[in-house]
Amino acid sequence: MKNPSGLRYRETGPLHRDFHRTTNGTIAYLRKRYGLGLLDEVFRRVAHDVYHSIHEDLKRGDTEQLVAHWRHFMRREKGRFAIRRRGDTIQMTVHECPAIAYLRGRGIPVDPAFCRQTIAVNEALSEATPFAITTEVLGEGRCVQTIRRRPS
Amino acid sequence: MIPSDHFVRFYNEVFKALEDKGHSHIVAYWRELGRIQSRELAARFRAGGLQACYDYWKRILKEEDCKGRLTLTEDYFEFRMDRCPSLAKVLDNDASPSPLYCDHCAGWVEPVIRSAGLHLVCDMESRSEPHCVLRVYRDQALARAYERQATLPSHPYARATAKSTKRHAAPT
Repeated sequence: MKNPSGLRYRETGPLHRDFHRTTNGTIAYLRKRYGLGLLDEVFRRVAHDVYHSIHEDLKRGDTEQLVAHWRHFMRREKGRFAIRRRGDTIQMTVHECPAIAYLRGRGIPVDPAFCRQTIAVNEALSEATPFAITTEVLGEGRCVQTIRRRPS
Repeated sequence: MIPSDHFVRFYNEVFKALEDKGHSHIVAYWRELGRIQSRELAARFRAGGLQACYDYWKRILKEEDCKGRLTLTEDYFEFRMDRCPSLAKVLDNDASPSPLYCDHCAGWVEPVIRSAGLHLVCDMESRSEPHCVLRVYRDQALARAYERQATLPSHPYARATAKSTKRHAAPT
């Protein structure tokens, strides 16, 4: 059930950024032991089951919860980003990913598959919806995520 | 980016995906967590004993926003978790909880404690309520005696051994 802000999950209070280190380690373990197939399957489950509410909204043609989710958590993690709308297209440009900034700030090597968490979750969120959600990685810690309505 | 706030929900999906591949896969993952944590903690616990365990979990209690109580006696260290933030978040989730979610804790703690020459008892108490008791003993007999009173002791590696034994047993 969504809270009054329209988000199913809207954490506040203390932030434990060290979980980005654990995410990085978990991604590295799954990639090395099983390859990208299992890793993407896990992210697909995250998109469809954990983010069930966002996915259901997208299926109905409603992008607002996803955009509010992006904005809330990028602000909360102090990421540098901008969200722009042009017609049916919504674009989030990430100038500095807070997760990668955290790892780099502690000298932790970023796993080569680290950005799959964004790419694969966005792809899976777009499944069975009127939208394509793409992620263009521009460099370590920078990307552009775009929601476009598919041509009908 | 999966927000750091949502890490445990991601972790829960990892556990379910590994368990779907076969129980040995989730056990191998716990072993890996234990190996990594042993590198950091086993020597500290071996040198500092129960006091070092107390000091470590005192920090964790604060850093990880747990609600719980720590006790240190001559015989054991106890961490009584009144509200586990990890399981609480997994339960506040549109995805189903991994049936083995709680076992990941003993899964990494047990190898660390064993490497330090100490003895762990982890009483999960419930898999659907976020509270548990973790005790570390110097003496194995005292640990086993406490374990006999436990409501739901966690044995993350026992099931794998039992399965493995069964798998290799001659057909009857």
